[in-house]
Amino acid sequence: MHDKISAEDQALLDKFLADNKMFLGPDPEIMRNHGVAPRSEAEEAVLSKGFDAHRAHHIRGLVNAALSESFQMVNQMGAAPGAKWGDLVTAIYTANGNLAMIAPHGIITFAACAFYPIRFIIKNWMDDPTVGVKDGDGFIHNDARYGGVHNTDQSMMMPLYYKGELICWLSSTIHEGENGACEPGGLPAAAESKYDEGIKMSPFKVVENFQLKRDLVTFLQNSVRDPKLQLEDMKVKLHAVMRLRERIVAILDQFGREALIGTMRMHLEDTEVEVRRRISELPDGTTRVLQFMDSSLRENIMQKISVAITVKGDRMIMDFRGTAPQFLNRSVNTNLASFKAALATGLLQNIWPDLPHTMAVLSPIEVITDRNSIIDAEGEMPQAMSLMPLFKACVAWTIPMAKFNYSLPKKYSAIIASQYDQAATFIYGGLTQHGDVTGNFCGDINGMGQGARSHADGEHSVSPVFGFMADSGEHEINEEDTPIIRLGAQRLAKDRIGFGKYRGGMGYEQIATARGSGLWGFMTGCEGSKFPSAQGLFGGYSCPSYQLMKIKGINIFEELKKNPNVVEVFDIIKLMNERPIPGGKYSSNDMGMTFELCSDGEIYMICQGSGGGYGDVLERDPALVMKDVREDLLSPDLAREIYQVVFDDKSLVVDEEATAKLRADVRRQRLARGKPFDQFCKEWVTPEPPAHLPYLGSWDNNAEIYASSMGQRVKMPADQMQGVFMPNPKDVAIMQLEGEVEKLKAQLAECQSSK
Amino acid sequence: MKRVSVDIGGTFTDCFVVWDNQYVEGKALTTHHNLALGFNESLGDACKQLGLESSKLLSEVDSVRYSTTLGTNALIERKGPRIGVLVTTGFKSTIPLSRARGYGEGLSEHEQMDIPNASRPEPIVPIPMIREVRERIDYLGDVFWKLDEDDVRLRIRELVDSGAEALVVMFTNSVVNPVNELRVREIFLEEYPAHLLGAIPMLLSHQVAGRKGEYARGTSTIMDAFLHQTMYHGLGTLELNLRAQGYNKPMLVSHNSGGMAQLNSTDALQTVHSGPVSGIAASEHLAAAAELGNVVATDMGGTSFDIGIVDQGGVKHYDFNPVIDRWMVSIPMVHLVTLGAGGGSIARYDRMFGSVELGPQSAGSDPGPACYDRGGLKPTVTDADLVLGYLDPKNYANGRIPLNPRRAKQAIEDELCDDLDMDVTETAKLIKRNVDAGMANGIATELRTRGYEPKDFTILAYGGNGPLHACGVANALGVSKILAPPFSSTFSACGAGNVNQMHIHEMSTWTVLFNPATKSFYNQYDSFNKGVEELERRGREDLIRQGMPTDQIRYRLELDMRYGNQRVQTAVVTEMNRLTSQREVLALMDQFHKSYGARFGEGSQSPETGVRINTIRVCSYVEQPKVAFAKLKLSDKKLAPPEPVSQRTCHYVGQDKALDTPIYDDKALVEGTRIPGPAIVTTRATTYLVEPGWTFHAAAQGGVWFIKE
Repeated sequence: MHDKISAEDQALLDKFLADNKMFLGPDPEIMRNHGVAPRSEAEEAVLSKGFDAHRAHHIRGLVNAALSESFQMVNQMGAAPGAKWGDLVTAIYTANGNLAMIAPHGIITFAACAFYPIRFIIKNWMDDPTVGVKDGDGFIHNDARYGGVHNTDQSMMMPLYYKGELICWLSSTIHEGENGACEPGGLPAAAESKYDEGIKMSPFKVVENFQLKRDLVTFLQNSVRDPKLQLEDMKVKLHAVMRLRERIVAILDQFGREALIGTMRMHLEDTEVEVRRRISELPDGTTRVLQFMDSSLRENIMQKISVAITVKGDRMIMDFRGTAPQFLNRSVNTNLASFKAALATGLLQNIWPDLPHTMAVLSPIEVITDRNSIIDAEGEMPQAMSLMPLFKACVAWTIPMAKFNYSLPKKYSAIIASQYDQAATFIYGGLTQHGDVTGNFCGDINGMGQGARSHADGEHSVSPVFGFMADSGEHEINEEDTPIIRLGAQRLAKDRIGFGKYRGGMGYEQIATARGSGLWGFMTGCEGSKFPSAQGLFGGYSCPSYQLMKIKGINIFEELKKNPNVVEVFDIIKLMNERPIPGGKYSSNDMGMTFELCSDGEIYMICQGSGGGYGDVLERDPALVMKDVREDLLSPDLAREIYQVVFDDKSLVVDEEATAKLRADVRRQRLARGKPFDQFCKEWVTPEPPAHLPYLGSWDNNAEIYASSMGQRVKMPADQMQGVFMPNPKDVAIMQLEGEVEKLKAQLAECQSSK
Repeated sequence: MKRVSVDIGGTFTDCFVVWDNQYVEGKALTTHHNLALGFNESLGDACKQLGLESSKLLSEVDSVRYSTTLGTNALIERKGPRIGVLVTTGFKSTIPLSRARGYGEGLSEHEQMDIPNASRPEPIVPIPMIREVRERIDYLGDVFWKLDEDDVRLRIRELVDSGAEALVVMFTNSVVNPVNELRVREIFLEEYPAHLLGAIPMLLSHQVAGRKGEYARGTSTIMDAFLHQTMYHGLGTLELNLRAQGYNKPMLVSHNSGGMAQLNSTDALQTVHSGPVSGIAASEHLAAAAELGNVVATDMGGTSFDIGIVDQGGVKHYDFNPVIDRWMVSIPMVHLVTLGAGGGSIARYDRMFGSVELGPQSAGSDPGPACYDRGGLKPTVTDADLVLGYLDPKNYANGRIPLNPRRAKQAIEDELCDDLDMDVTETAKLIKRNVDAGMANGIATELRTRGYEPKDFTILAYGGNGPLHACGVANALGVSKILAPPFSSTFSACGAGNVNQMHIHEMSTWTVLFNPATKSFYNQYDSFNKGVEELERRGREDLIRQGMPTDQIRYRLELDMRYGNQRVQTAVVTEMNRLTSQREVLALMDQFHKSYGARFGEGSQSPETGVRINTIRVCSYVEQPKVAFAKLKLSDKKLAPPEPVSQRTCHYVGQDKALDTPIYDDKALVEGTRIPGPAIVTTRATTYLVEPGWTFHAAAQGGVWFIKE
């Protein structure tokens, strides 16, 4: 064997490989780099001469106005529910693909992912004679492996040439919903491989001379359940980008190329400088939080996300090592690029909301992960429900950063506990009452409960973890387009709160059924039915776990016609406890439900969740406790049990003195129960995760990863992590049933033989 | 024509009197404790100029018209009755949750981004005052859950026992079938007859807003109920005051729809923002009378910058879900966007980008800019204007507010100069440059989002600071012509004198003009026409009730249309008041196609995905005689400038050195006068800043053109 290769030979081999690429798949060189690329020659030439900050300020205002205009266009013209209710963005990138600016109110993660496909286009298509990049071209993309949150989002990206020179890139992205996956609605939790995820568009040219190519549009329409939506929103994104282009060209006409190139670059560099300055304001040290995902959306299984944030001077390192391994055949994975984009969102949404929305906010932050972990998944794995780890990334900052920020004299926003971080909304699909085939999701995803703050209760249903001013919508309008009827549209979920000195903002119940469709179904893609999603801060409680409830085998419309008093009120707890509808099959399930057909009048019930609480419940002002009781958000029993408040049942007047005494007693009892830390550890810490618990991730050592694969517990070094393969839940159920049959057969045989 | 129109603003009560051929403006401070006092003083100011007694004037005028911010103030001060709300079971938390985004409605962009500090406004209706009732109707109007009348009685009783002073009923899909809301009112009147002492009003949501969207309709109805008493008493007192002074006709009230009606035909909600909307109405009439073409109306005051659009082709721009204070409502309000840019906008150092940011925080009028010498320490736009030499410290606001230049300089130095490493003058220039650029961007975004280009518009600049910043805004916007209209300091009052008596009625509809699934076109003409007829009937009855002759009533049909499942609803004004053939259906779709293409770009239309009408709207109105505006085209006359009253050294954006600047007074307003910039014209009402490169052209009736050479 001749394994010594000369440098010359190696160069020839490398050239051969470069010239003979079989498949231009996701490129790790692009996908693993979230940093702002170094100054290009053009940028260096402009900035080395000195650039007027006030001129940049002026041009920034013009670019922002243009982005705002194009954002409004998409919002108003878009047909996807995501576009209508705020799940969209427009953005501008430098010529070498750095994300420079995002439309105010736009979804940061979308734009923070779209620079990856732009870099892919620059690297691969720019000089490819069969593709090329020229003025008037537009590229479409949806495959998150090339950059993106998940394949339900589609982006249109357009290069802007000015006087023959590529000056910048422009993009528009919408959460479209339906994408031809194995389940309707674009979020297939049942996807077992990437081939179940529907259309997978690597970046390709779909527009020439500012016109959509009808052959390609037809191909895409043919690949999804809702061809109308596909066509309509491709036009929308194209025309929004064209409008943005028109405005940017006007800026170039007025101020020249150098002004725009210099402004975009300064915007990035100034932001980076500011982020480093803010990091250096923080005390040095390490703070941590552990997050858990409790479901793969097919089965209950604990997946750890380990977070440690270290500050050293102006360096910040986010260390996610010890996190659960990726699934080979479950859709809750994410690739690292998407994960970082969600981190950028979380930083801007929860910690430094006054920073400009650009990739430069994350660029100075170092991110360490284990390859093949659930947040750094690679290969053929599905990632259609990457929202699960991505939403965790959005809130990962809150608890560790609260510890860094708490004592700083200047804070950039409030100290806040974790927001509820689940996509608690109905995903749907089927035939509408108008005969259209559709698949999408409801705007209720936008109403997540806020974490409690150091100064106030969290706001109820304030926003999604990934966006600003997003809209949970109007059901009267939604009911025109789909057969979904809300029996419970929005009812605050009493008692299901993250308690604390300040309580989390609450979520609300959603009770849905369908009417007038021959074929309709729902799915829900949520975790947090076993293990709470939103953690409390400084002694505050986590939110509770939330389940999916169903009443099947009935038609509520017929029941209401027969007896209008059959239901007193559509309230989940009353319906499940009292079970008033005769003949109904009532069930409580975890919130990871793959697509399921719903006959007319069958009922599905879920909850938007509460944010985590802040501080000790014994410090909560009794007046605030009683306000919650009066508003029917809290049961009197819980007011007593959790908050230790003494009050009169009828008048709800608090006995202040008795309350103070009771709380003092409880504090004494706590002290009595207290143990030294070492003793606590001795009693509680185990060398391994409990044997009965399906568990993924490190235990006490981040270098060792536990996993359950095909039902077997395995342990592996973190640097050699392998993906986890899960058996089909139906096969598992069949095996169990077969086992029971065998047992019964054996019993029968035994009975017969004893006779 | 003899007419009085009044705009009661937060600070001033403006009065505009037409007395045959004489147009006179009056001004007085608003007297919040009794609005009649401010009105009387303002009217007295105008009468003095006419040499008339108020009583004589009031006994002879054909109408008195009001626009007022009373409603806005009542909301801010939370002055209103305790309201109880009945909603459909399952929708109990719709109002408190405010579509999630309610945390940020009515706030600045920066505040909207700062979610960790989010705070919803104190609710108008606390949660315990919302009760659910068993009933439900679907989107087509089918009642699938019969109203439980016993439940209704019980919930009403609970609300009344909890102290409700007004009741609102907001049932889901009541706009397509109001039967249950109407039945609730019957039950309510059975239980609580109107003749009983302590009887309380009940408002039904479908009667306040005809459009789908349960949250926005609910807040509209709540707001209407909340403001009713305050508005009724406030405006009723004004009407009594008029009666006492000899005015014996019905008082007319401006609406935010751009029309007006008698007090007893006005919903409280219709009066909110009617002052600024009247300014747009004045702009519309001025544009038509003076042949200005398309107009963008801008009003720069002390705390805000309002922008409105007037299309010469008659396209109406409404906000269907405007935000009033902190709440989204459902009412067709003339489109008006407000930016946080005014004389009081605070300038702060932007450390990240090394420049100056303006607003949205404002020093308001109390303490006001630092130069007001009332304790304000933050530098503002007015401070910069003073430092740059544009304002006369002794003659600001007609001498009402003395200015202290030393305070202005100190505030700018303390807060900005060191960080920027710039002297106070350069810093003041930067403030002016940035505030003007911000307003220009606001105008550009507003116009372009609707498919217009600023260069195709005449920009009207009014309000206290409008003519002062007109050239700067125009420079940033790249336009070369701006008009400070006649009567600019009382422009909204003037506008109230120019609106028609009008009522708008609308209804949500599911009218599919083209269905791509079945390839069919709409042919249920009777159903569509009946809808239009019903809306015309309601408008007609409104106007007849106010004594309008039937033969003078006109109707304008507007249809909100969309492609496929879009959210956008482009308003199409159509001449066809009825549909009778497929050809007309195609013509309607064609009209929508053109209008949509003009707004979003040719080729962006998607008729192949279906075409639908979402809302039918009928504006019923009676044309009223208008205030005659003169032709405001640039005068051929070329009168030399009058003698300057003084000279000041001023600093200008884009000019390195200070320039000697002549100062003129009212004499400069003689039609045909031309004054090259730099120059300043300070009149009783406002200050006109003519920047270098611009020329002041005095037009008729006190209007002023700024023309860039």
